[in-house]
Amino acid sequence: MNPTVLLVEDDRELRDTLRAALQVEGYRVLPAASSADALALWTHAQSHAQAQPHATPGDGAQPAVHIALLDLGLPDSSGAGLLAMLRQPPGCAVIVISAQQGEGVKVGLLDAGADDYLVKPFSLAELLARMRVALRHRGRAVQPAVTRFEHTGLTVDLAAYRVQLCGVDVHLTPTEFKLLARLVRSAGQVVTHRQLLANVWGAEFVEHTHYLRLYMAQLRAKLEADPADPQRLLTETGVGYRIAEPPA
Amino acid sequence: MCRMKYHEHHPWQAPALAAGAAVWALAWLVLLLLDGQLDLANLALLPVLAAAVAALWWPAGLSVAACAATVLAFNWTFVPPRGSLSVDLHQHALLLLTLLAVSWIVTLLVARQRRLAASERQHAQRAQQLQTLATTLRESEDPRDGAPALQAALLTCLQGDPAPAARLKTTTSHAAGAFEVALLLLQDALPARDDPAAVYRLGATTADQTAGLWLCLRQQRAMGPGTGWHDDERAWYLPVRGRGTCWGAAVLPLPGADAGSGAAAGLRRQHAQALCDQMGLALQRTAAVQAATAAREDARSQRMHNTLLAAIAHDHRTPLATILGAASALHDQMDRLPQAQQRQLAARIVDETRQLQRVTDNTLQLARLDAPGLVLRLDWESVEEMVGSVLHRMRGRHPQHRIKARLEANLPLLRCDAVLLVQLLDNLLDNALKHGGDPALVEVLARRVAGEWPGAPAPGGESCPGAGNLWLLLAVRDRGPGVPPAWRDRVFGAFQRGEPSGAAPLNAARAGVGVGLALCRSIVRAHGGTLILRPRSRGGSSFECRLQLLASPLPPPPPPLHPAWPVASYPDLHAAVEAEPAPAHHSGPTSAGGNSR
Repeated sequence: MNPTVLLVEDDRELRDTLRAALQVEGYRVLPAASSADALALWTHAQSHAQAQPHATPGDGAQPAVHIALLDLGLPDSSGAGLLAMLRQPPGCAVIVISAQQGEGVKVGLLDAGADDYLVKPFSLAELLARMRVALRHRGRAVQPAVTRFEHTGLTVDLAAYRVQLCGVDVHLTPTEFKLLARLVRSAGQVVTHRQLLANVWGAEFVEHTHYLRLYMAQLRAKLEADPADPQRLLTETGVGYRIAEPPA
Repeated sequence: MCRMKYHEHHPWQAPALAAGAAVWALAWLVLLLLDGQLDLANLALLPVLAAAVAALWWPAGLSVAACAATVLAFNWTFVPPRGSLSVDLHQHALLLLTLLAVSWIVTLLVARQRRLAASERQHAQRAQQLQTLATTLRESEDPRDGAPALQAALLTCLQGDPAPAARLKTTTSHAAGAFEVALLLLQDALPARDDPAAVYRLGATTADQTAGLWLCLRQQRAMGPGTGWHDDERAWYLPVRGRGTCWGAAVLPLPGADAGSGAAAGLRRQHAQALCDQMGLALQRTAAVQAATAAREDARSQRMHNTLLAAIAHDHRTPLATILGAASALHDQMDRLPQAQQRQLAARIVDETRQLQRVTDNTLQLARLDAPGLVLRLDWESVEEMVGSVLHRMRGRHPQHRIKARLEANLPLLRCDAVLLVQLLDNLLDNALKHGGDPALVEVLARRVAGEWPGAPAPGGESCPGAGNLWLLLAVRDRGPGVPPAWRDRVFGAFQRGEPSGAAPLNAARAGVGVGLALCRSIVRAHGGTLILRPRSRGGSSFECRLQLLASPLPPPPPPLHPAWPVASYPDLHAAVEAEPAPAHHSGPTSAGGNSR
């Protein structure tokens, strides 16, 4: 079955354009113009999916909506409430779409569990790439966690605690490894400063972004050809970091 | 605070009376001593002298009475027949009459002279007082700061003249609050209702006096004894007048029921009014200056807005024209265009939309930076990282150009707003790529520079201790045709655009950088730094931005191992955990890592 996209966007032109483009790519699109609209569509899709005759009890984890594109600045909601609803199990992937101004809200939603973000205006290619990554991560929720990452000569094997660059072992300190591992687990997706700091150093260090700057510099020095022009460990200014998406 | 209280005094001052009495006593003593030794006519000169001298101290009435008494006594004592008031000789009668007349005339003349001198003195004092007040008001930023000086001057004016039957005396008694000179000065326009918040007040008043002050302020008219309006009041209410308007009011409580009437009181009131008017004029002058400044500011910002709007329109129109052209070609001629050309048109739309996006972002950011109450999202940021993210994007977008990064190793962290700084670099690079020749050869340079700090202090923190004056030089350089000297500062003005020069005529795609550079300067200024354009010795421009480096935060402690990562599951981690090296304070390449890309 084709993945279902809940498209929450209040601008009609953009909504129609995106819907057409996504349908060409083979997605089933549920377009919503407001938070209330989205809620109704989501509830309906949910009950419809459970009423399917072929749905078995074991299949209950399969969500009716696979991915939601959530535009910030909806007329009737800040997005936080909608995000909380969408994250209820089985949950769907959420990509936040923001304008330049919504910096704080965007980071807040990412910290609250949104998968990724896009800043308007964006190209269709960017959107599709983000959606592919998000779907891959969501689909993996029920599978064993992926512990292997490969990208342009960099190999990270989390289970074996091993990092190789073009076949040569790279020595990382435990902190560097934890930082890299956190990024690898969300490969292709942005990981916010707070998430990285909380996961690697602990919840009391979420304000210490300078730790990240120092350790990312060390990681880049070890893993990038030119640390000033990173190809793998990318910076999302003001938001967090992203390890480049492995080729599909 | 200086308060006044009225005291009932004897109208005549004791020392002056004593002096006059002493003169008369001395004259009589001499008269009695010289009795019989001098001719009666000669003796008679002494009382005249005494009358003239005593008149210097005594009030005129007393002096006149004393003269009359002296003539009688002289008659009794010295004029034959002695011991009686009768006069034998006609010549003696003439002498006595002359004596009386001359004494009176001299006395009255001296008294008049005294009055004139006193009024002259008072006049000079008042002129002096007015001038002092004017100076005080002129020197204070806000004339309201001079209000205590006016209050003191009014107080002096009220108590300065000792002539009336009652005098004011300065005491520290608080019980006499109602007799305080009080002021009410408008802060702004006259409020519709008597709103205490709309005025500056000095001195305590009774409710009655407050109402009087407001009435006086609204009617712009003096009231109280002698003013012809509310003559029965026990105080003068004087308006603080400017030209044609009223800026406030003052209340001067009067000591007695009749203290406000009479010529002297009228003069006092006129002087008090002059003092008040000084304040009124000062307030008016300040208001006029403020209005002029505001108008100038308004006109300036209006001009700014106009250039801004014109330039925004221009910057938006250029990409829009291209987009519309390409899009309409696709729309109308789709079937007839070869596929390669269709793709080219679509690519042009995408490119120009990006340009439009940049212009829009820049304009919005510029407006945000210019708005009052701007708060930067400051954090410790890595220069390498910010340059890296801009380079990554730029190289992807302009593969045909060469962009080189030369970053000093181990640069300290920079306290800044990363989003803004990335936008700064993005614009500088975009500008360099557009004007840096074809294909452009552009260089990003970042290094530490020591020396005198040229800019304002950076926001949020003291400068790097121990490191002296240390700042970061962030430069974007190109090898383009450069900028003519006349334009070197103007390129940063909002929406200035380089004139087409013979060496490199600017085509439509190269235009529209003005807003970008204006934004760059705004961003750097918001960070307390400087941005200049320097020509390079062998051609090209170098945009150099200097930002202050502050003391870096402490490097992180070795973090605790996260529970999610049990050490036991990584056999080769054990050793490493024990000996985690303290992280280098600065970023930089390390020997570890087989980097062989």
